Amino acid sequence: MTARPGYVGGAEPPALRVVIGRRVGRVPRLRGWLLLTLTVVAAFFLLIYSRVTLDHSAFVLEDVEQRLEAAETRYWELRLEAAELQSPDRITQLARDIGLVYPSEVRTVEVSGIAIPGGDVEDRWVDLKALLSAQP
Amino acid sequence: MSRPFVTDLRKQRWLNARLIAVGSVLAVAWVAIGFRLVVVQAMESEKYAELGLDQRLYRETLAADRGTIFDRDGQELAVTIDSVTIYANPREIADPETVAHLLAPLIGREPAQVQELLATDASFVYVARQMEREDAEAVEAARLPGIYFLSEPKRVYPVGSLTAHVIGFVRPDDNVGIEGIEYQYDAALAGAPGELLVERDPQGRTIPQGEYSVVPAEPGSDLVLTIKTEVQYVARQALEAALERTGARAGSVVVLDPRTGEILAMVNLPTYDPNDRQNVDADVVRNRAVTDVFEPGSTQKLVTVAAALESGVVGPWTTLEIPDRIEIEDTVFEDFTEHPDVLTVTEIVAQSSNLGTILLGEMLGARQLHAYMSAFGQGQATGIDFPGEADGVLRPADEWCVTTCVAGTSIGYHVSVTALQQAMAYAVIANDGVWVQPHLVAEIVDGTGTRQAVEPERRVVVSAETARSMRSMLEAVVASGTGSLAAVEGYSVGGKTGTTEKYLTDAQEYSENDVVASFIGLAPIDDPRIVVAVVLDAPQEDASGGRGAAPVFSEVALATLHQLGVPPDAE
Repeated sequence: MTARPGYVGGAEPPALRVVIGRRVGRVPRLRGWLLLTLTVVAAFFLLIYSRVTLDHSAFVLEDVEQRLEAAETRYWELRLEAAELQSPDRITQLARDIGLVYPSEVRTVEVSGIAIPGGDVEDRWVDLKALLSAQP
Repeated sequence: MSRPFVTDLRKQRWLNARLIAVGSVLAVAWVAIGFRLVVVQAMESEKYAELGLDQRLYRETLAADRGTIFDRDGQELAVTIDSVTIYANPREIADPETVAHLLAPLIGREPAQVQELLATDASFVYVARQMEREDAEAVEAARLPGIYFLSEPKRVYPVGSLTAHVIGFVRPDDNVGIEGIEYQYDAALAGAPGELLVERDPQGRTIPQGEYSVVPAEPGSDLVLTIKTEVQYVARQALEAALERTGARAGSVVVLDPRTGEILAMVNLPTYDPNDRQNVDADVVRNRAVTDVFEPGSTQKLVTVAAALESGVVGPWTTLEIPDRIEIEDTVFEDFTEHPDVLTVTEIVAQSSNLGTILLGEMLGARQLHAYMSAFGQGQATGIDFPGEADGVLRPADEWCVTTCVAGTSIGYHVSVTALQQAMAYAVIANDGVWVQPHLVAEIVDGTGTRQAVEPERRVVVSAETARSMRSMLEAVVASGTGSLAAVEGYSVGGKTGTTEKYLTDAQEYSENDVVASFIGLAPIDDPRIVVAVVLDAPQEDASGGRGAAPVFSEVALATLHQLGVPPDAE
């Protein structure tokens, strides 16, 4: 048989009692947790904020790229329009419409240094049109 | 009393067995799931990560901007713009008839045609290619089911038919050059495509902070041509008027700078609009000035006489007694203009004497004549930067017949040339005896703005003295000979007429009705800045070089000299 501990002599077992701990020891532990929680939450929100900011920047960038593309498309459309407006066929027709005719007499004016190819003047500047278009 | 206990025990055992079975199944299931988890997450993780990424990754080929083609003054002759292509997914279209009726008027097609496209079982069909953005916006606004849009580059030619034969065109599907300069310089113009790699969500939106990489496209080089649009226009107008006046079937004009080999204008009629090539006959697309050959006739006398002068057989003022006719076997050669019995070499050219030129050819002999013709560039392509150039026909001297070949060749038969080749022969005389390779592209400008100029090949054909003598003779042709209608007010000009019976290749005989009329000239005579070649195919009225082609030269030469700012040198 196994012996069992017991109270001999009918003595009453000692009653349980509540021991009140010292509260001062628990306050610092709570603060630490609180600080940690706040830090984690702040870090979390900071992370979210930075992601949102970055995402927003990415959307802005995409928008700028789209506008750039649209502007480039418009640029080429305008260049095409300008080229079509310069077409000799169109200009001749316009000239006819407003009653312009070729001169009956052609007078040639020689401008020193421009009309003579070679020398100090480059060949490409002989063309007066090229000279004029090169000026600002 | 013990029965219930036994029953309970049996139930308990049965329950335990079921629990064990279910537990085992669950355990096996968990082991399987765990195993699969290990396989997916650890052993094959990369493979599945890639598969997932592939579903989100979007690869797009970035088309390189095709280079622009400019004329020598910076006028755009070929540009690329963005256009909108409309396509359909017929499987998403429940009612093709209604969609076709709504769509057809917006894209300028017949409803029946569109309906036929939409009724197919394919998942992709083109509905309209390369539409203007404004036109496509109307279709977009209609919000038709199964209709989608693509952005595509489109090649446009702002001056239309004016430079069609020079510039050529591209294939609309992929913008690859298939004709003219577009074809010749396709590699330079095309550039290199780039690639965009971007992560997108199921709605097609770019995922911020996702995968993103871009290899930018390398833009194609721009080309600066030697063509001057104003001269091209004048040449086209003059040729158009000549075709109307003479009833010629076709015609070509080539204007070039003999000092540099630069082609200032190259015009052929009939022509076409490269922006709208539907129903264009392939015959019209050919650049005849470079691809078509003809027997040069009297314009060939320049080569024969220059050869005679250069070889020292005769001088400009050497006199020759001209017979009434020359008969070689069955062939009779005659002159068509009346002239004295004795002519100087200069007068032979001015009067366009066949018999006098044949005498000079006979003095040279086949080998020498052939050598000079080759030196002038006949029987071989000039090497112009243009596809499909014809070599012309000049048989080796060994193969010439002993009867009429020297005589015939001296006056421009038995030899075939292109308008450009013959213009180059005159350019040799204009440039003091130096042949400069003709070319259409002056500069190639790459994406960084680096300009690469074209350096043409040069070779001496005859001496400057011979060239000057020949120019005097050509001046006499216009001043007092067969080319009087080529005169240009204010400028001294020279040139030579040519009228030959047209050789019919299919019938292998000369035409009884059709001729090729030509005039090739240069101006100003002392220091030529331009050579102009005019060729009319089968004129019905004014059917000769002097009456049909010479007036075209006059008009084109005057305008070109003005455009180039060349001061007048004559009263």
